[in-house]
Amino acid sequence: MRFELSDDQRLLRDSARDFLAAEFPLEETQRVVEHDPRGFDPAAWARLGEMGYLGLTLPAEVGGQQLGAVELAIVLEEMGRACVPGPYLDVALAAALLAAAGGRERLLAEIASGKAIVTIARQDAAFAGEAPCGIETANGKLRGRKYFVPFAAEAQALLVTTPGGVYRTDAPFAVTPLPTLDPTQRFARVDFDHVAERMAAADVVAGLEPLAAAAAAAMLLGVMSRAFEITLDYVKTRQAFGRPIGSFQALQHRLADALLRVESTRSAVYRAAWCLDNADPDAALAAASAKAYAGDAARLVCGESIQMHGGIGFTWELGLHFFLKRAKTLESHYGSTEVQLERALAAAGL
Amino acid sequence: MDLHLSERHLRFRDELRAWLEKNVVRPWREELRDPTASEDSLIELRRAWQKKLHAGGYLGLDWPKEWGGRGATAVEKSIFEAELVRADAPPILNFLGLSLLGPALIHHGSEEQRRRFIPPMLSADEIWCQGFSEPGAGSDLASLKTAARLEGDEFVVNGQKVWTTYGPWADWIFVLARTDAKNRYGGISFILVELRTPGVTVRPLRQITGESEFGEVFFEDARVPRANLVGQIGEGWKIAMTVLAYERGATALAYSTRYSRDLAALAHACREVGRTGPAVREKLARLVVENEVMRANGVRMLANLADGKIPGPEASMEKLFWSEFDKRFRDTAIDLLGPGGLLLRSCSEARPEVDWAREFLWSRAETIFSGSSEVQRNILAKRALSLPQEG
Repeated sequence: MRFELSDDQRLLRDSARDFLAAEFPLEETQRVVEHDPRGFDPAAWARLGEMGYLGLTLPAEVGGQQLGAVELAIVLEEMGRACVPGPYLDVALAAALLAAAGGRERLLAEIASGKAIVTIARQDAAFAGEAPCGIETANGKLRGRKYFVPFAAEAQALLVTTPGGVYRTDAPFAVTPLPTLDPTQRFARVDFDHVAERMAAADVVAGLEPLAAAAAAAMLLGVMSRAFEITLDYVKTRQAFGRPIGSFQALQHRLADALLRVESTRSAVYRAAWCLDNADPDAALAAASAKAYAGDAARLVCGESIQMHGGIGFTWELGLHFFLKRAKTLESHYGSTEVQLERALAAAGL
Repeated sequence: MDLHLSERHLRFRDELRAWLEKNVVRPWREELRDPTASEDSLIELRRAWQKKLHAGGYLGLDWPKEWGGRGATAVEKSIFEAELVRADAPPILNFLGLSLLGPALIHHGSEEQRRRFIPPMLSADEIWCQGFSEPGAGSDLASLKTAARLEGDEFVVNGQKVWTTYGPWADWIFVLARTDAKNRYGGISFILVELRTPGVTVRPLRQITGESEFGEVFFEDARVPRANLVGQIGEGWKIAMTVLAYERGATALAYSTRYSRDLAALAHACREVGRTGPAVREKLARLVVENEVMRANGVRMLANLADGKIPGPEASMEKLFWSEFDKRFRDTAIDLLGPGGLLLRSCSEARPEVDWAREFLWSRAETIFSGSSEVQRNILAKRALSLPQEG
């Protein structure tokens, strides 16, 4: 038994961390999200392809690295740490869906190289509990509407979920931007009246839910880890009342609780990823639990991070807000906490 | 990463599981509900159970072979603890002796002490209690004042210990006593005292559960042979701390195993009383999720043990997680069951699967004993986060 990463996995983590730190410093993210209407830099995206991060889990024939959920979690954690703007998680999940459906080698190769952005359109309403706006297919045409389609304006193709299965449609799309509190993640409403190709049954999406949950939890882990580290450095140097604020027990105990949450999320994320790679019967329960726990933990840790920084933590300029915003976005999407709780109960047989 | 149990560990688990199936005649929760059971009869039942475990070769697993051990690893110890929970076996009566004093004697005691004390400890013929806490020394244990003054070949012991688990049924107590008033840590010694010694008085201490499994022990000029000193004079603190470290990781899988069982029981009870609405399900689900995360922490700790890593601050995280979780769990259980959740075990209307009222009260002890939640957070702040210390 071994929980630690293997040498290869460690190498992947270290090189991703170095690469992303150089490529996506927070100042650069500030600039991109304010000045580029796409919300990310396509040139930087192409370099992610060159590094092999976009085809991480794809077969070698399409230029992929044939790695597993653990390696995907490693890279997603680093993407979260750097709060990289762009659709990394969305494209990884779309690629997994395409790969699960079989075929489509050309599109997968374009995803792996960074030439194509493909995401999944699955939200049928803007608000939880709202009546679905409706999407239907007839005679090879897909008609209807989807909400919160990730980076729809930049996507070459979308994978659209319908009650009758998953359909692939190609750009251009009728896109209405839905600006949210998180400028590093772009969403849109898309109105479809498109020729579409049925590519998978509806249950293929359901089968990928545990991977989506574990993947989102891995990114949440990175988000909260970095916010926590920044805060830990800050409380050791920031002086108030003549001493570093990190010497106050009122903060120490909350930091200890934050550490517990970060490390517990780490255990849950990597155990879930390992269970997925090993077809372990606990995989569904482990993945749903990891996502539900990580969502709460990240919001709490990123919130504490702003609170412990005081006023400067509330400034746009410091950039801590990106972590809180990404945490809340990830918590709400990829199977919200409420959804994961239901899944966990079902998986536990309760 | 590899989270598979090794062949050797799987074999150990399967053999133990089969042995427990044969030997746990009645689940512990049923013994507790037996109307003919008394505190004393349950103690005797546990004594008999411990003898059975000993005969089966399952006590002192990681001790040297000559003391009944089988050279087991920390991983096997964790599996052992989890399987006992899974089988709902009676709790081991002499657990303080086996988990703390045994290792102390093996690593720091004399050959004579080992020969005298270990066999009856294993067979449960001599029950041990722990004399660490005092009325004035809880979280700040090193401020303890119970004094042992050397007079010739004897220590003269004066003072008071409190929260001595099984004090009322124990035969012996291992005591941390002050042998030097000026030296905070180096002035503490580790001494074994027979509770029948003149000058030693044990009084049961009634807890908020109404039970008295803890006691208070008073020492008034109690004379104890010098031969009962473990290690050297002034080594008591060091011995106590190293012995506590041996136990780290042993419960890696035990708590989540126990909570899975009790959560299933709670879900079943909720269904039976017709509590299936979304608010109820959300509360249940949050507990299930937290328990799964606890299990993941446990698997990680187990894998690290297998990898030869000794848990450091992870042990504080484990304690903080399970004890704080248990308070929320037991609290929620009563909320979900309604007023019936408050019924005492002795009431025929009480739910049969778990003694929910007692568990709710007991959970209040868990964030206090073995290093309170506040102490665990202090440890994490200092050792894991290297935060600047006050003053």
